[in-house]
Amino acid sequence: MHVYLPIAEMSVSVLVFLGLGAAVGFLSGLFGVGGGFLLTPLLIFLGIPPAVAVGTGAAHIVASSVSGAVTQFRRNNVDVKMGVVMLAGGLVGTYIGVEAVRLLRKAGHFDVAVSLLYVTFLGVIGTLMLIESLNSWRNVNAGAAAARRRSGQHNWVDGLPLKMRFTRSKLFISAIPPAVIGMFVGFLAALMGVGGGFVMIPAMIYLLRMPTAVVVGTSLFQIVFVAAFAVLLHAIQNRTVDIVLAMLLIVGGVLGSQFGAIAGEKLRGEQLRVMLAALVVVVAMRVAFDLVVMPSELFSFGGRT
Amino acid sequence: MRLRAVSFAGLAMLALVLVQSNASEAQDSRLPVESVEADVSTRSVSITSGFTGTEIIIFGAVENSRQPSAEAGTYDVVIVVEGTHQPLVVRKKAQVGGLWVNADQVRFASFPSYYAIASTRPIDEIAEHDVQKKNQIGFEHIRMVRSGRAYIGEADPLETIEFREAVVRLKERDRLYVTAEHGVIFIGRSLFRATITLPPNVPVGPLTARVMLFKDGALLGSYKSNVNMQREGLERFLYDSAFERPMLYALATILLAALAGLGAAFAFQRSAPT
Repeated sequence: MHVYLPIAEMSVSVLVFLGLGAAVGFLSGLFGVGGGFLLTPLLIFLGIPPAVAVGTGAAHIVASSVSGAVTQFRRNNVDVKMGVVMLAGGLVGTYIGVEAVRLLRKAGHFDVAVSLLYVTFLGVIGTLMLIESLNSWRNVNAGAAAARRRSGQHNWVDGLPLKMRFTRSKLFISAIPPAVIGMFVGFLAALMGVGGGFVMIPAMIYLLRMPTAVVVGTSLFQIVFVAAFAVLLHAIQNRTVDIVLAMLLIVGGVLGSQFGAIAGEKLRGEQLRVMLAALVVVVAMRVAFDLVVMPSELFSFGGRT
Repeated sequence: MRLRAVSFAGLAMLALVLVQSNASEAQDSRLPVESVEADVSTRSVSITSGFTGTEIIIFGAVENSRQPSAEAGTYDVVIVVEGTHQPLVVRKKAQVGGLWVNADQVRFASFPSYYAIASTRPIDEIAEHDVQKKNQIGFEHIRMVRSGRAYIGEADPLETIEFREAVVRLKERDRLYVTAEHGVIFIGRSLFRATITLPPNVPVGPLTARVMLFKDGALLGSYKSNVNMQREGLERFLYDSAFERPMLYALATILLAALAGLGAAFAFQRSAPT
């Protein structure tokens, strides 16, 4: 069964895109990430124009993160105050990001810029996560208690003003680092067509030292609004949100993410992190491969101008 | 009224005389000159949610045909169906610091979004290159205007040909430029027909169909017709919304997405035995 996509202007198989949404949604629920870092490259691989993939991917992220955020919220795993502070920065970053997409597309460097961002961020963060999570997994297996928070350790973050008390995270820190992290992630989100969980979750754990229990929920909570804002900007600025494609991905995605969340309950945090890290590294290597190996077709059409 | 009828009759007479004198000059015979009449099976193609490509049939007849049978091959027919002409940017990758990046780009002011050509036999056998070029028959003779300006790097003007070939290659890959060398078939002494396939990814916009009649490498007559192609129903509503009311369109998308997410979260909570 096929359906014609009004913005992408092509006829696609309903089942393929429902399945893609479900698969990405499952991982999204499992790891607490938007899943965009998988969805956007896969959509492009299936022939969706890159700009439409980025814009429509944002709509899919709204749905799967709402679904995941509600589930986490009911388990009291969302630090709303922290989420709002990050969101304030996130909206600014998203605006700058969508503007950067427009300028890069005009200059003809969008594809390469996105690929380089994928390789850099997914590669570095994935590798660091993999090393760290493997170490902590080994420690847990050896019976040693995982060092959750090294008390007494201070860094420059503690010296910043605008200190706020984040009760749910049991933190008393400046509002500036979370807002800056939010802004940076919002920028990447708009540019890469991702939710940004893969950057935000490590940042929350390692930089803000938030308890792992609230990291996933708070990240999802913030992603809901950043992704919604990205949909709005992409639709208005670039006309690249395909509502039919979005609905196909969403129907698959919301179901998948519920199963993912349930599956996530059965796995330990360390295991989840090793798996997520491995997945991130694989995607980074795949994108790097395309950048380094000579393409079979050197020519391509520029996007809609 | 009467005056008009009289002037019409006069004009018709004049035209007849002109045609006959023309015919006697060109053909050096008393036989009436051949011409072509044609039409398309459908004047409008609707793009709906279920659109998976379509076929249009172009049929026509050679007036005053002198060929003894359908197989005689006295006449050649070339049919060209073109989409709207649009500006096009073509980019070429090159290795920079070990990475394959877009290094050169050429902007063409106009290139047909779709180009299908069907003929009774390969076009090079039908007419010389200058005739092909004059009538814009074949991928090589598609009229294109290069409008320089927006470069990433400085593509050498001589390299434009490379970019031009790339357009044709990429369009052929997407089945948007198609050739059917024996796509036009004579059914009788004068009747012919051809089927043109529009793929699912055909760019939406009006199509122009040109039917050209050749004999001994010379163009005897041609006929032009238009086919409308437009979005219909839900497809049209969504497209118009996205382009004319993007804010509303975006909010509707977000609302649907959020409701789907919420719906799933609550549905699962009720059914889950937690």
